[in-house]
Amino acid sequence: MSLFRRQASSKANGKLTRLFFASDFHGSQRIFRKFVNAAKHYEADVLVMGGDVVGKLAIPVIREGNGRFRAHLMGKTERLEGQDDLKGFEERLGTLGFYSKIMDADEYDEIRSDTAAVDRLFHDLARERLALWIELAETRLAGTGVRWFVMGGNDDDPEVLELLKDVNTESMVFCEGKEVAIDDHHTMISVGFSNRTPWKTPREIDDNDLGTMIEELADKVADTEHAIFNLHVPPVDSTLDTCPMLDWNTDPPTQIVKAGQVVLHGAGSEAVRRAIETHQPLLSLHGHIHESGGVVKIGRTTAVNPGSEYGEGVLRGCLLTLAKDEIKSYQLTAG
Amino acid sequence: MAVAAAKPEVFTRKSSGLVRVMSPYSAFIYNILTMGLIFPWTYLWAPGALPGGRLVWGILLAMIFEIPIALAYVWLSTALPRSGGDYVFQSRVFGGGIGFSIVMSGFVIWILQWVALSGWLLSYLGFASLFLGLGGTMGNPTLTSIGVWFTTPWGIIIVSILNAFLAMLLLVSGFKNYVKFQYVMWYATLLSFGLMLYLFFSATPEIFAQKLNDFVVASGGVPNFYQTGIDAAKAANIDLNPSFSLLATLLVAPIAWTSLQWATYSAQQNGEIKGARSFQNQLIIIIGSLIVTGLLLAALAAALEHAIGTEFLYVAGAGYWAALDAGKFNGVFLWPNIIAMALAGSPIIVVLISLGYILNAFQIVNNCYIGMTRVMVAMSLDRLLPEWVSRVSDKFHTPVNAHIAYFLASIPVILVYNLWGQWTALTLGVTFACGYVFVITALAGALMPYRAKALYDASPGAVYKLGNIPLVTIFGLIGAAVGAVMVLMFMFYSALGLTSVLAYQVVFGVLAVSIIWYFLAKMIQRSRGINVEYAFKEIPPE
Repeated sequence: MSLFRRQASSKANGKLTRLFFASDFHGSQRIFRKFVNAAKHYEADVLVMGGDVVGKLAIPVIREGNGRFRAHLMGKTERLEGQDDLKGFEERLGTLGFYSKIMDADEYDEIRSDTAAVDRLFHDLARERLALWIELAETRLAGTGVRWFVMGGNDDDPEVLELLKDVNTESMVFCEGKEVAIDDHHTMISVGFSNRTPWKTPREIDDNDLGTMIEELADKVADTEHAIFNLHVPPVDSTLDTCPMLDWNTDPPTQIVKAGQVVLHGAGSEAVRRAIETHQPLLSLHGHIHESGGVVKIGRTTAVNPGSEYGEGVLRGCLLTLAKDEIKSYQLTAG
Repeated sequence: MAVAAAKPEVFTRKSSGLVRVMSPYSAFIYNILTMGLIFPWTYLWAPGALPGGRLVWGILLAMIFEIPIALAYVWLSTALPRSGGDYVFQSRVFGGGIGFSIVMSGFVIWILQWVALSGWLLSYLGFASLFLGLGGTMGNPTLTSIGVWFTTPWGIIIVSILNAFLAMLLLVSGFKNYVKFQYVMWYATLLSFGLMLYLFFSATPEIFAQKLNDFVVASGGVPNFYQTGIDAAKAANIDLNPSFSLLATLLVAPIAWTSLQWATYSAQQNGEIKGARSFQNQLIIIIGSLIVTGLLLAALAAALEHAIGTEFLYVAGAGYWAALDAGKFNGVFLWPNIIAMALAGSPIIVVLISLGYILNAFQIVNNCYIGMTRVMVAMSLDRLLPEWVSRVSDKFHTPVNAHIAYFLASIPVILVYNLWGQWTALTLGVTFACGYVFVITALAGALMPYRAKALYDASPGAVYKLGNIPLVTIFGLIGAAVGAVMVLMFMFYSALGLTSVLAYQVVFGVLAVSIIWYFLAKMIQRSRGINVEYAFKEIPPE
């Protein structure tokens, strides 16, 4: 009955590494808590968190006196009566990846008229949330032997990512821009920048420059055959990057419609595809395009984009079992 | 760079926010086309098998019965706006075992019968009616005999296989090509439907009798067809003026449900619908399309009875249900489109009506592929179907293998449906099987607030309650109960065709195969170090 023999014995002998990868949390509290708990839930040895960790929206919760508040969410003004309502509302925002700050109407008017103040508010709230995440992860993962690797994405402000670079904890490794060891056999390089997007996000560059950035890192890898390329953007035209084509001349960008239908295209990076085709790493990990989750083969490389449903509170991920020379198994998850 | 929004009271920052492909309007159209304005069974099956049943009321009852089920789908779709629909909903709330077994049996396997049925619709109601209509309106018996060929088993088989093959090619070439073509199908179907309504409402039984007689003679048939049919039905002891029967009217509803149960099919594509998380959008897409289609079908029933009279409606029904030869025209049942063609007497109208039927039938086979290949890909990614099923073609960016597999699997079903007489008795088997999928999903909606609390709490529908009871629980329970009654009717009333030993063997055999498949797949994957439960089980968010 070798067909049904479990592989647990191999794992016990230290031959296999279980790696859990997920990306594009966009500030969602629920998703991050699930991500940390995924180590135990999936019996993973290594957690890798792709980029785009920062949220997109901050909701001012405005004091109206007598313990009442108002806040605007999803097109509706919510009236909050007391602390219980407020707590429930903040939990909902946390799931959606939104930040919140309680303020008076005057303070809100003052901030909204000052772009720099809005920037500062975002940076403060994002750093505050990341600090909470790091603390939570350390509490749960320190002493377990599980490490979580994290990098930024194109949506993440460099000022916020500075916080991650300075962290010195047992469990967390900020892995962007360097080669890190995943286990005895595999190393990983990480690049969180993207090629240009119509959204003009904080960390996007020309595709050629992205290629140069990846090549500089890849050149330092002694053994690309056992390497993992953790590149936020998926390779172009890989089906991990399919999304509607957008008009770059409108703000916000709008979808291009031809003959009565939305035009789809591959929004990935040519440089990323070139790097994978040239170096043929064992595995490449991607995010960025939330709606195009999947796994494809590019030559010998297994390329993964688990997709993202952070707004629904669903942690999309990929659980991989790595042997020295091969990927023994992979599984897309929705936890 | 962050910016302050003038209104509403939020702060936003520059970040990517990609959009979905299908507009809510397209999804609304998709549902109406899926419900099939052309499905003909209610109009002949019900009068034939259920004397005393009121067609219009039966259709409206089916629409009303479907509303709570559809509402449960609205809640589920806004909570889980992902492609995969029922499979995702059920596996999220009940776990992979139930989700896979129910959807694999009730949908993936049984909808192969819809591939066969759409081929039958295309051949019988599309091409056969086109040539019969042209033969009758142009006085050309050769065209009539071509039309008759399309009603023969091999005529239907050839058309069905080509129908499935062309749909596969269209969808493999890219979903966007289908969406482009959908508008053509939509307007052709509407035109065809509108013409029939006009012809029926503007006719009287007397006018119809004359025009039908002329039409039959021009096709090479015998004179005085109308009166001959009535006389033959009376001679066969068929009551042409039965008194009202509440039970018969209630039993019309499960037949009409063949169409209206598909109001929720857009849920399979939630991942591609813009604003799928919006409650308002889902109400318009699902409930809106249900009500519009229900009212249109009821209107067609009223118009048909207005045009041909109650007596002849029972003659046409006897042609279908009691094999009354005089209730058939050249061996073809008197479907609403044939009757409309006889009333029109114009080859142009014949072509326009037929085009709607041809394109709506083709759209239905497309729907089978669109919905089921997505479910199959989701099952494959969950490691319950082989990995090659979910492989996406580099060239076409579509799951080509899933399409090919579904096409190949449909061929034996097409053959058995058209060559084995007993199998046609299982025509509504697919309504029964899909019915139990919808019932379990409605139940999943009812239990979502309790079994998937975190998911429910994060959904926009969580704010709607009656006292402390979530509205989705109330609608889901009512929907599941009503749906279960309709499903059970199939098994206990011979008029609905699923009371034979063969029917029980097929229905429960398919379910058993799916359950066994799940446990085998789970065991095999475990031997490879993969726990398939990880695909469904929520990680504690605490």
